Amino acid sequence: MRTSSRDARAAVLVLALFACNDGLQPEPACPNAICGRVTFQGTVPDSTDAVYIVAYQTFPRSRNDLFTFQPSLAALQALPLDSASAPYSVLLPTGRYEWVVAVWKKVGALTIANADSMLREAGYYRDPADTSQPGVVTVAAQGLDSINFVIDFAHMNPPCRYYNPPCP
Amino acid sequence: MGVVYGSVLDSAGTPVPLVTVRSGSTSALSDALGRYRLEVAAGVVRLAAARIGFRPWTAIVTVPAGDSVRLDIRLPAGTPLQMAPVITTAAKRSQLLDQAVTSVAIVTDSDIARRAVNTIDEAIDKAPGVQFLSGQINIRGSSGFVEGVGSRVLLLVDGVPMNQGDRGGINWDVVPVDQVTRVEIVKGAGSALYGSAALGGVVNLITRDLPLGIHGRVRATGGYYGNPPFDVWRFRDFTGGQGGLDVATSYGTATFRGALAAGARHSDGYRQQDRGDHWQLAGKGEWLPAPNLRLRLSGAWANDAYQVPLRWCVRGGCDTRGQSYQPFMVDQSDTGSHTTSGKGYLAGTVERTVSDRLSWQARASWFRTHFEDVFPTSSDFAVANLFGAELRAVAAPAPDQVVTVGGEGALATVTSDFFGGHTQGEYAAYGESERRRGALRLTVGARVDFLTVDGGGMTAVVSPRAGLVLPSGAGVWRLSAGHAFRAPSIAERFVSTVVDGLPVIPNPNLRPEQAWSFELGHARPIGPWLHADAALFWTEARRLIEPNVDASKGQIQFQNRQRARLAGVDLALRATPLGDRLVTTAAYTFLYARELATDTTPERALAFRPRHLLTLSADYSLGPAALGADVRYSSRMERVEIYELDPRVAAKVLDLRATYTRGPLAAHLLLTNALNYVYTLVPRTLEPVRTATLTLVYSY
Repeated sequence: MRTSSRDARAAVLVLALFACNDGLQPEPACPNAICGRVTFQGTVPDSTDAVYIVAYQTFPRSRNDLFTFQPSLAALQALPLDSASAPYSVLLPTGRYEWVVAVWKKVGALTIANADSMLREAGYYRDPADTSQPGVVTVAAQGLDSINFVIDFAHMNPPCRYYNPPCP
Repeated sequence: MGVVYGSVLDSAGTPVPLVTVRSGSTSALSDALGRYRLEVAAGVVRLAAARIGFRPWTAIVTVPAGDSVRLDIRLPAGTPLQMAPVITTAAKRSQLLDQAVTSVAIVTDSDIARRAVNTIDEAIDKAPGVQFLSGQINIRGSSGFVEGVGSRVLLLVDGVPMNQGDRGGINWDVVPVDQVTRVEIVKGAGSALYGSAALGGVVNLITRDLPLGIHGRVRATGGYYGNPPFDVWRFRDFTGGQGGLDVATSYGTATFRGALAAGARHSDGYRQQDRGDHWQLAGKGEWLPAPNLRLRLSGAWANDAYQVPLRWCVRGGCDTRGQSYQPFMVDQSDTGSHTTSGKGYLAGTVERTVSDRLSWQARASWFRTHFEDVFPTSSDFAVANLFGAELRAVAAPAPDQVVTVGGEGALATVTSDFFGGHTQGEYAAYGESERRRGALRLTVGARVDFLTVDGGGMTAVVSPRAGLVLPSGAGVWRLSAGHAFRAPSIAERFVSTVVDGLPVIPNPNLRPEQAWSFELGHARPIGPWLHADAALFWTEARRLIEPNVDASKGQIQFQNRQRARLAGVDLALRATPLGDRLVTTAAYTFLYARELATDTTPERALAFRPRHLLTLSADYSLGPAALGADVRYSSRMERVEIYELDPRVAAKVLDLRATYTRGPLAAHLLLTNALNYVYTLVPRTLEPVRTATLTLVYSY
């Protein structure tokens, strides 16, 4: 009887462990992320490889800062470009981001040396109070309102435009 | 005097050889077809029949003087004799399990049958210390997850190496599951006998023996996949199904034996874009021209055509219905991705027992894989041939010594549009000696491998191993230390492609991964119905090959990067408190896996290694019916790569099963992931949901 009682307790323990079904659950968009919708303007260049959305915690002012964005290179998701607008979501570490930007990449191998010719800023989230300035975004665990902005293929800029000093 | 004659059959009507039939002091052995003939004194005599694995049988029979009586004996199945199983993988020769210097786990054909699995990895996954990450096997955390490239576990089929010639990964469906009778999983460094890839361990799939007479099996499976547990995750308006049919037959005489098997299956998949079709053929033939000589030819071919779900979709990749991710749905940019693949082998072996003190075996093999991936905007393909040969001898130069020596060669040739055209060779000589000193068994051995790429660049790797086994009271201690390595695969050296917009560039200068492994283990019975096996293990690895994302150059390249330490404890318990009616097992692995600090990175957890892995199982049988369950717990991965911020949870999976056997017919009902627990082990890849399967097996 003592053995049966011990076995029963062990069984109850295992069942209790499994009764709590805390597997993956539906998760409303945007906690630990920025998300929203981008609207496309202009014609997508034939030389387009992909367009990514990335975020900088500190605004990049030199070529050395160029690859300090989040998420990591390997986690980048290319935007679908076959419609007038597209929803997007980018998982990020929580914190403050000074620049949320769409990066256009030309077909070909990218290196830090050729970044100015291979990459373009194609649009960025703007400060609602002063649309001439980038909007600061704070990513938090509990979520974030949609970050919507325009990607304009007719007005793209090389990264060096934002360096200090900027390129000609 | 008179004669009693007849056949000895088991409960299914199969002839049973080597049964002792006795009357008084007279006895006879049943022959290969179960036949016996016994001369007895006329009159009323008492006959008894016995064989290990069957209950004793007795009968009273009247034998007229000068006449004969036919009496067929039906031997009821009994409790198998409890003794250490015989294994063949740990030392490349037959030995008892408790004589192996390293830990060995065994998956029996009973384990495979009652789990009614479709591929053998589904059964191996429950072995102590073993975990599959999206098809990639980990033994004590050896491989991690690198999309199936560069397995640190070596797969053997009847002793023949079967890791892919191009990627170094493993195709678990190369052999039909129904043809596997036993799996031996040798843990720890195995390169001293097996060379490259045996860094974390060796898995040997042992196919069925060919019995005498005509036999056959028909196996039909059918089932369905559970729907997502939340409506917001529903992705189709029907319930997905799966099913298959396998047929196998064999014929054997004392001299010739042969078997053929064929099968096919279809699956709708449990997630979007996950349909797959599979068919396979397998054959095996044996010629035994003399009692001490056996020639075997075996082969198999399997073909797959399946959709590729790739990663699940996140917002922006599909209609996520307001969710941050949809685990059952695929990114729309991956729509239409599919793969066709084929894999097969042909192997011939000659085994000769020259005397009680010398035997040898020679083998030659050819293993071929090909695949073609088709993506929406690109495609790729690879064809790989792996040719192998081995000559091995086992000798007993002294009564207390056994020596195994051999030479082995393997040549891989690859043609691919993204690996290029290359060859890679591995040529080796090895030897191992076991010496007994009283109860102590001491084993020392080494293997030297010469590695070539495209006919040049020879690299030599020496892999020594030493171990001892010491019986102590009712238990056995084992201790071992060994070196292991893995040569870079052709894919890791020469891949040239683009992943997520980043170029993946070749690295012809990759060097072999190396590791030293140590193990201290103890196995012993505890009381009349409990058996325990515990092992402490420690592996120091260096030059591990991992994909390196170089942010400054914007490229990916396989590099020798990591130094790693994998240490922990394996504990396995087996209890039979009600004899064979109730069999329970518990297996727990604690794993401390660290990527050691380098000049540029601090020490951190090694990716894709859970710290705790627990498997519980229980099977209760009563007459022709049996019920069973498996519980698997794997703690939340401390660290993953690429999508480190994605949600991830511990894995908690409950499998239930029931079996009913009546004569030659067996029915297995299996409910895997019965709680429909939704989880992931590798990035954005949903593990299987609840699946119900009914399997019917008819054997004759």
